[in-house]
Amino acid sequence: MKRLRSLGALLMALMRELADESAYRRHLAAHGRPHSAAEWRRFSDERLRERYARARCC
Amino acid sequence: MKRTLRWLLWAAVSVVAALALGAVALRRGEPINSMWLVLAAGCTFAVGYRFYGKFIAARVMALDDRRATPAERLRNGRDFEPTNKWILFGQHFAAIAGPGPLVGPVLAAQFGYLPGTLWIIAGAVLGGAVQDFTILFASMRRDGKSLGEMAREEIGRVGGFTALATVLMIMIILQATVALVVVNALKGSPWGTFTIAATMPIALFMGLYLRYLRPGKVLECSLMGLVLLVAAILGGQAVSQSAALAPVFTLTGTGLAVAIILYGFFGSTLPVWLLLAPRGYLSTFVKLGVIFLLAVGILAVRPELQLPAFTRFTDGTGPIFGGRIFPFCFITIACGAISGFHSLISSGTTPKMISRESHARSVGYGSMLLEGFVALMAMIAASVMQPGVYFAVNSPAGVVGSTPAAAATTISSWGFPVTAAGMASLASAVGEKTLFFRTGGAPSLALGMAHIFAGAGGRAVLGFWYHFAIMFEALFILTLIDAGTRVGRFMLQDMLGHVAKPLGRTSWMPGVIGTSAAIVAAWGYFLYQGVRDPLGGINTLWPLFGISNQLLSAVALSVATTILIKMHRARYLWITAVPLAWLVVVTFTAGWQKIFSPPPHVGFLAHAAALTATHSAEARRLIFNDRLDAVVCGAFLVLVATILLDSVRVWAGILRGSRPARLSEAPFVATALDPEGL
Repeated sequence: MKRLRSLGALLMALMRELADESAYRRHLAAHGRPHSAAEWRRFSDERLRERYARARCC
Repeated sequence: MKRTLRWLLWAAVSVVAALALGAVALRRGEPINSMWLVLAAGCTFAVGYRFYGKFIAARVMALDDRRATPAERLRNGRDFEPTNKWILFGQHFAAIAGPGPLVGPVLAAQFGYLPGTLWIIAGAVLGGAVQDFTILFASMRRDGKSLGEMAREEIGRVGGFTALATVLMIMIILQATVALVVVNALKGSPWGTFTIAATMPIALFMGLYLRYLRPGKVLECSLMGLVLLVAAILGGQAVSQSAALAPVFTLTGTGLAVAIILYGFFGSTLPVWLLLAPRGYLSTFVKLGVIFLLAVGILAVRPELQLPAFTRFTDGTGPIFGGRIFPFCFITIACGAISGFHSLISSGTTPKMISRESHARSVGYGSMLLEGFVALMAMIAASVMQPGVYFAVNSPAGVVGSTPAAAATTISSWGFPVTAAGMASLASAVGEKTLFFRTGGAPSLALGMAHIFAGAGGRAVLGFWYHFAIMFEALFILTLIDAGTRVGRFMLQDMLGHVAKPLGRTSWMPGVIGTSAAIVAAWGYFLYQGVRDPLGGINTLWPLFGISNQLLSAVALSVATTILIKMHRARYLWITAVPLAWLVVVTFTAGWQKIFSPPPHVGFLAHAAALTATHSAEARRLIFNDRLDAVVCGAFLVLVATILLDSVRVWAGILRGSRPARLSEAPFVATALDPEGL
């Protein structure tokens, strides 16, 4: 049961990483700012600009 | 005692791998269960990872967990961030898994299931995983530098520029090829076209929701997107049965090509948050979910393979693409065995997030083995169909005859019985008008997947699963097209910026529109020629894509070999040099044959020559396209020959002692990370 729970936690963490939610949390912590719509937009614009400047795999 | 048990266990895994490979390779004339393929690949991959991957990590790279990685040294909470090994594994796998490992094996199944299966297993362990692992290692030791930067630093400026030009050309061919796969899957299919069209407003809604309604709630938003996608599939069925709506969504190949070209243009010029990003999130989750579902489906249903181990088309007369098993099987399956594009990912985000050097083995080597498994599942999905059905779906009208009856007669004469009535019944079961001449691999993969998924739910849900699979493939192919066009635009702007400064500015709208239009026009032309090609287009574009992708692998392995020599690991050179030599032989043979081979169904120039007697405008267009394809193929070979010769010059200089073996590695800094905290 414990292993199943940690597997579930790992999957959830992977989904948060793929969804950029973890990166956003790190961004807030690194800059010491609270969550707000404007902060998300600032973070998202910067991250997406970098991500969509790199080739996607076939 | 524990050690002895471990060795006994690995000995048992090795024996099972050998037995399963023997069973797969030696059984003839009777159907074989797909579990033999799963067992052969699973055990071989496990042995490869445990022994070969570990050998490379310990002896060749000497991975050192005391050394701080770029994620730790340059930590900025954004792209440089120490990340849990398994989360990074999942993220890297999600980034390397595209349509390539799904479509390539389906097309290569024209030779039978055996050649492709063996190439996937051997290629992934000895080639693909080695390439991904070594490039990830090299980039990790160089603060996450890209392949192009490493080529420039380790080989020279010629190598660096050549790598950049090769990537841009490959991207153009890649966009056209995968766009053609979507066109052929949706042609004349109102159900499929409606479903894919509905993904645009769904993505726009998600973009606005994330931007203004619930900023930051990506998972919540993606879940809503998934529900809407399922609703779109169900709505597509209603549309296909509606007398008023069905004609609106029934598009010809040309109409779909124009729609995708326009989509590519707008996708690359609109703000990323509005369309690309939400579609990207959705596509990633759908992709991982479907791959997992397919694995569960195969294990649950354990289908028997209907395709033979070898077909008569190993002699090069195949209807899907021309050319013998060597070299064409090895370029048709690129991504599931060895893919140059992976080297761009391994030198992109991933090296900036590795928390310990030893994690590079599971992330770099392990992810590629999982991708090999995806390719194997695609091979199984293609092989569970009756061979007659497989060839009826994948053969172009120009080869088998333009009517269902003529096609059925031709395919049956090859020894693969199929009837027009049987195909009509199958088409009706999946909600399509016809399944004949649907070249490109996507529809046959969708049929195979639907067959496996429906194993649990009966024939009644075959249509849903078929269109679910089509939606899944088209969704992430379109993601590849919009993002790829954007990246191609950046690369072009980067190059043109040296000629005229404003063109290099990504904020200057005329420059953005002009370069986007140029990239879209480049891949759009190849797409258009593929759609108009009487032989289906895939027979031309997929080999070109395979050759170019494998040539990029040759570039990556040249960089890796140079680095090994500079690290004074020349005695382990065979690790990268053997797959490099194999790729050079395969791709240069394939490239040469595509240009100069005398049979018109293989060689571009021979095909053009065969048409010169016909004086129609159509023939002149086909002749021009054949010559253009020959020039593009030749350009790939010249570019890669340049980088290879440049690399050999560097290797010879270092090995002779006339050139210093100067590595561009970042200096050693001891890690301060808590080993338990990761």
